[in-house]
Amino acid sequence: MIQTLLLTALVIFSILAVLLRDLLKAAISLAIASIFLAIIFFRMNATYAGVFEISVVAGLITVLFVSTIALTKSDGDVRESKVVSILFPIFFVLFIIIDIFVMKTLLNRLMVVRYPAPTGNFGQVLWGQRTLDLVGQIGVIFAGVFAVIALFRKRDKKDE
Amino acid sequence: MVFTFILVPLVMASLMPLIGKISKKFLPDILTNITLLFLLIYSITIGRQIISSGTGIRQLVWLGQQLNITLALDGFSLLMLFLISLVSFAVGLYCINYMEHYGSKAVFYALFLLMIAGMNGLVLATDLFSIYVFLEVAAVASYALVAFGLGYDELEASFKYLMLSAVATAFILVSIALIFGFTDSLRLHDVALAFQLLNAKYLVGLCVTLFIFGFGLKAAIVPFHAWLPDAHPSAPAPISAMLSGVLIKISGIYAITRIFLNVFGLNPAISTVLMYLGVISILVGAIIAFSQNDIKRMLAYSSISQIGYIILGIGLGTPLGILGGLFHLFNHGIFKSLLFLNSGAVEQATGTRALDKMGGLAKRMPITAATSVVGSLSIAGVPPLNGFWSKLIIIIALVQAKAYGFAIVAVLASGITLWYYLIIQRQAFFGKLNETWNNVKEAPFWMSASMIILALICIAIGILFPIIIKSWLVPATNVLSAGVYYTINLFRF
Amino acid sequence: MGFVAALIFIGIYCLLTMRNLIKLFIGVEVIAKGVSLALIASGFERNNIYIAQSLTITFIVVEVSVVATALAIIINIYRHTKSLDIRKLTRLKG
Repeated sequence: MIQTLLLTALVIFSILAVLLRDLLKAAISLAIASIFLAIIFFRMNATYAGVFEISVVAGLITVLFVSTIALTKSDGDVRESKVVSILFPIFFVLFIIIDIFVMKTLLNRLMVVRYPAPTGNFGQVLWGQRTLDLVGQIGVIFAGVFAVIALFRKRDKKDE
Repeated sequence: MVFTFILVPLVMASLMPLIGKISKKFLPDILTNITLLFLLIYSITIGRQIISSGTGIRQLVWLGQQLNITLALDGFSLLMLFLISLVSFAVGLYCINYMEHYGSKAVFYALFLLMIAGMNGLVLATDLFSIYVFLEVAAVASYALVAFGLGYDELEASFKYLMLSAVATAFILVSIALIFGFTDSLRLHDVALAFQLLNAKYLVGLCVTLFIFGFGLKAAIVPFHAWLPDAHPSAPAPISAMLSGVLIKISGIYAITRIFLNVFGLNPAISTVLMYLGVISILVGAIIAFSQNDIKRMLAYSSISQIGYIILGIGLGTPLGILGGLFHLFNHGIFKSLLFLNSGAVEQATGTRALDKMGGLAKRMPITAATSVVGSLSIAGVPPLNGFWSKLIIIIALVQAKAYGFAIVAVLASGITLWYYLIIQRQAFFGKLNETWNNVKEAPFWMSASMIILALICIAIGILFPIIIKSWLVPATNVLSAGVYYTINLFRF
Repeated sequence: MGFVAALIFIGIYCLLTMRNLIKLFIGVEVIAKGVSLALIASGFERNNIYIAQSLTITFIVVEVSVVATALAIIINIYRHTKSLDIRKLTRLKG
């Protein structure tokens, strides 16, 4: 029950993040949605993921968003059309109805195989079973860093 | 050791900015090209040994301890590794001259090597989530590379590409989460086994749909192709060559093929969907390419059309169809990169990409013109160049499978392809010399060298195609046509 | 899974209708939340939360570098056009 409430709060704040005109407020509701998601993770025993969600997504990504918004200073200059927010509830309600029906039938149709639950703790699983992903993470981080370096480099040579 | 394919470009990429501090251009050029040459030679020599000694699928041992990195090198992934290293080697040579005026060569090479590391990792991974992670490594590097010129078009194209890719990866991940939820594992072997035991039609249907959305966006199959004609032309020419020649094939077609054929198993429904998608891509790509004036946009649309041939061949699912599809994939990687490199040489020399402003460039740029003729004739499927044989195999396979309608479309579209490549040749290189280009010079040494290498490979494959098929393509086809049982029997770690 | 679908729907709706570049990216973030919820939820269902967590953490790391790249691109676009309006991005017609 509490879980459902939390999930609903997550969805509501996500909607707010999308629909709010003010970009700063939108970014903050996105962060609040992240915090709700993190609480949901904690309740599902996913503590590490929850910590990451709060520190990285609610923290770092929000900081990135806010600094971008500050750097571009363009709160008022893009007019979203009003129709978008008016139509949203209609589509959303329609979608939820379809969603409920589809999920009910789908989940009943799908079967499940049982495997034994894994042993060990989180660290062992991350290091022991997903090592290749860690290599991939290093690659992604390098790619992101170099991408930012490349995009913010001085463009003096272009004019030669 | 199989891991070298990922580790070497990754380490070199991370060292590149430091090397760039020591020497701005010379060292990054040399070291990148040595790395690429090393990977090429390694994939030719060591790769075959590893496969023939039967230790292609292995866990890594590091400092005497079992690391849980399972990589699989089989005929199919070796073919892909060979294609990646071949094209990236040619492109690397080309970059020595072409990237001069962009600045920050070291960062450029770092991103380039990361893209290669990502693709190599994707090809070798034996786990759905690892496939996703390496896909993202290659993708993040490619967003930055598309925007590398920092011009307005580049940025816009890169932004669109990034948005659509983000949606694509979301679909892929939802599907991965579903599979994880129902099979409790993401290793290809476990997933394949569980799907065989489950016989879960709805789950397979759902996952296939999500994967087609996701990887289809990456491969730019027709209903999902909107980003490609923006992103590929806007990027610097060597990057267009990499994206069109290799990246869409690895992150789109390789993933689709590996997952659908080796994990889910190709059933008639999937096969039909893939074949229809292929035919639509062939037609739409060819028809839109026909009406383009920008040379790189024309090449980009032509990529969509050729991707259609590959999907059509692989979707057919007979061994001959798969062989043709893979052969065409390999050939397309080579001649499409060649054509993009040609267009880059022309753009650098004349400063324009509009076909109607060119004309008579063959007199000023003989090497570019000659190699471009080879590329165009190959892609249009003129015998005895390589494109002819692969298209022929696909069409024979279609006729054998009694899919006459598809075969007719494939033949017709190949006619259209020939037509619009002749238009490129006539407008850009032959005919009267446009006076504006009287002072145009031939492309610099390394650019010409890389174009000549690729053109020679086109001709060589065309003449020696039986050897290529026997030594490279048949092992790859065997892997794919063995289907699900291949994964279940061999990926057992 | 119903909530996951709802989140992804909101994100895609945002991508289809909004005109501000940053807003579009917020849409992508909402989709990303749906995805990480899906990963954790399926791990929870399967009683296999450790692997689900490591997948989610990898996903979050990937997400950060995508966000950094995207925002760098947005800032660069802003330098060119002094605006964040998607309607001004019409030079290229896909």
